[in-house]
Amino acid sequence: MSALETLALHHEISGFLYREARLLDEERYDDWLALFTEDAHYWVPGVTNRQRRDPIGSIRPEQMAFFDDNLQDLSRRVARYNAETAWAEDPATRHFHLVANIEVEDIAAGDIATGDIAAGDTDDGAGEYVVHSVLLNYRNRHRDEQDVLTARRRDVLRRTGDGLRIVRRKAVLGQSLLLSKNINTFL
Amino acid sequence: MNTASAVDISRLVDTEEGWVDRSIYWDPDLYAQELEQIFARCWLFLAHESQLAKPGDYVTTTMGQDRVIVTRKRDGEIGAFLNSCPHRGNVVCHAEAGNTRGFVCNYHGWSFGLDGALVGMHEQAAFDRSPGFDRTKLGLTPVAQVATYKGLVFGTFDPGAPSLAEYFGDFTYYLDVLLDNDEGGTEFLPGCISSVLNCNWKVAAENFAGDALHAGWTHDSGARAMLGKGVASVVDGESYQANVNGHCWEFNLDLLGNAATLGDRAILRYLREREPAMAERLGPTRARMVGSMASVNVFPNFSFLPGQNTFRVWQPRGPQQIELQTWVLVNRNAPQEIKDAYRKGVMMTFAPAGVFEMDDGENWEYATRANDGVVTRRQRLYYGLGLGTATTHPDLPGNLYRGQVNDANQRAFLGRWAELMQADSWDRVTS
Amino acid sequence: MRRLEICPAEDLPPGEMRRVEVPGGAPIAVYHTASGFHATADTCSHALASLTDGDLEDEEVLCPVHWARFDVRTGEPQCFPATVALAVYRVEVVGGVVTVLHNEEEEEVA
Repeated sequence: MSALETLALHHEISGFLYREARLLDEERYDDWLALFTEDAHYWVPGVTNRQRRDPIGSIRPEQMAFFDDNLQDLSRRVARYNAETAWAEDPATRHFHLVANIEVEDIAAGDIATGDIAAGDTDDGAGEYVVHSVLLNYRNRHRDEQDVLTARRRDVLRRTGDGLRIVRRKAVLGQSLLLSKNINTFL
Repeated sequence: MNTASAVDISRLVDTEEGWVDRSIYWDPDLYAQELEQIFARCWLFLAHESQLAKPGDYVTTTMGQDRVIVTRKRDGEIGAFLNSCPHRGNVVCHAEAGNTRGFVCNYHGWSFGLDGALVGMHEQAAFDRSPGFDRTKLGLTPVAQVATYKGLVFGTFDPGAPSLAEYFGDFTYYLDVLLDNDEGGTEFLPGCISSVLNCNWKVAAENFAGDALHAGWTHDSGARAMLGKGVASVVDGESYQANVNGHCWEFNLDLLGNAATLGDRAILRYLREREPAMAERLGPTRARMVGSMASVNVFPNFSFLPGQNTFRVWQPRGPQQIELQTWVLVNRNAPQEIKDAYRKGVMMTFAPAGVFEMDDGENWEYATRANDGVVTRRQRLYYGLGLGTATTHPDLPGNLYRGQVNDANQRAFLGRWAELMQADSWDRVTS
Repeated sequence: MRRLEICPAEDLPPGEMRRVEVPGGAPIAVYHTASGFHATADTCSHALASLTDGDLEDEEVLCPVHWARFDVRTGEPQCFPATVALAVYRVEVVGGVVTVLHNEEEEEVA
């Protein structure tokens, strides 16, 4: 891939993530859902404080999570947001999703600097990209409630006939004990 | 024991006519008294034995605001100790879970075994030369009593507290609905999700003790998300509130009411198919409670939901804050896909991003914070729903009330609270 | 040089260790590992614990107090907090009996 192509790809993917962030800020959840493929997996694992020497590690797939969702699960969460009786959403929360530190790795080009392509990411990798980013989420609610969440994200994006889509997202929170009463947004 | 009380506790909770003084949800002095009278004396939930499967396994948690380590000792017994070094007080274990040979304090290298005993320290020779130094008297302070009931581990700081069996009394009849509906017993799925809510711990505990009323209103949006329709009215079906020693279970006999909200038909099939076996084990009435629309609080702060199988502790962190710890309980013999379905279902419903829990948290925080106003504080709260509904049932022990839409359990929970807040001895607590 | 007869070899199977009191000297730890019989000082060079109260894992003994690890073949410390090597002693099996060759001078140097 030429430098210009690399730059163009990075620009395209950054724009995709910025738009996704704006959809969440604006609570356009149905539009946000449309950014996922049918086989999407969206995972925000629980984080456990363990000793460095502990082979189990701080996150693992079989452990409880904040989200371990397929598209139907995400749709159910959106259905609650869309209900008039979602009391904790009314009046509205003010959301800010700030996306930064975007790195793009083209699977087909073998351009995986971190070498962390996961098994099952893709069949042949054509038109799929591993994208790393960090997310800063600020929420303000009622008069004096404010919460800051951070997440380090690893996405697999796929180029489809409708444009880029999210196949897989792993978002690891910067907190083990969630220092908030809820996560009334997506990360 | 601190029994000094500036206020007459008996005036705060009127269980006869159903009125509650709001000070119990905000007063820092009452909160300090709760830590002494309730949390330093009652049996508190520590862990599920499955979290401590083999020697060296440990978890850290709190009893009230006291940090404790719970271990599986080398002899296979379960131990619990204050997580604070007797030398300078530092926390000796910062991990939430793991497997270890023992615990070494970061500060001066004091080292403790899985039984809490001091086994040695950095510069030990200097200590050995100090007159009066006695290693055997400097272990981690043990929790006075530790006991298990069908996989659940509890502890109390009070050596004079009644046994766990006496503390539960007939409530074990109800606990067995979830803990003993299968011969293989139960386990916690891996991991614990925890969060911080700015509410009083009792607001949450009494909600699980007996607030079936809120389900159809608070959780309309969650039910629509998971079931495609609102929560069914529970007024007409056969339902009850039962309590023993302040432990409360409100329930329907609909088998699947709660379980259905997990949104996975495999769970419903699992419960339906197992109903005959559960009935054989528990009798037909209790078999109908396993996944039913119900909620439970084990006094003071250990709650769970049959059907959804979320198990949780409301850890007090001040009069207006809790740390909520949650786990998922499953039958050990359940197929893996059923365990996965529960894990995912609980995440969808009763977790910080869950479609039910989000609306609870919002309500509980403002039910607590509204009391910041000095005039507001003077206004009593109404707890009179279901007065005069006491009933009996040949299968159901304890204080029983007709209809789960009822404040009976919340009155019983707060009545027990008031009793313990005043009693300077367990001899003066009714059972 | 003293010869300390410890026990019949079959009484100390592979993976096991035992503490031996030495009249007039510091206790000795005798180990049987995959590489054979070994002996070191029993007292951890860091915090005075008895190493035979700890664990023998492959060729390493772990102190029960701060989990310092020592190579039982050389006495060399393998990790924090130990920094000083353990005294080591020659071990022979003579007529089926595990025997430690105990050199007091060597112990003093260590």
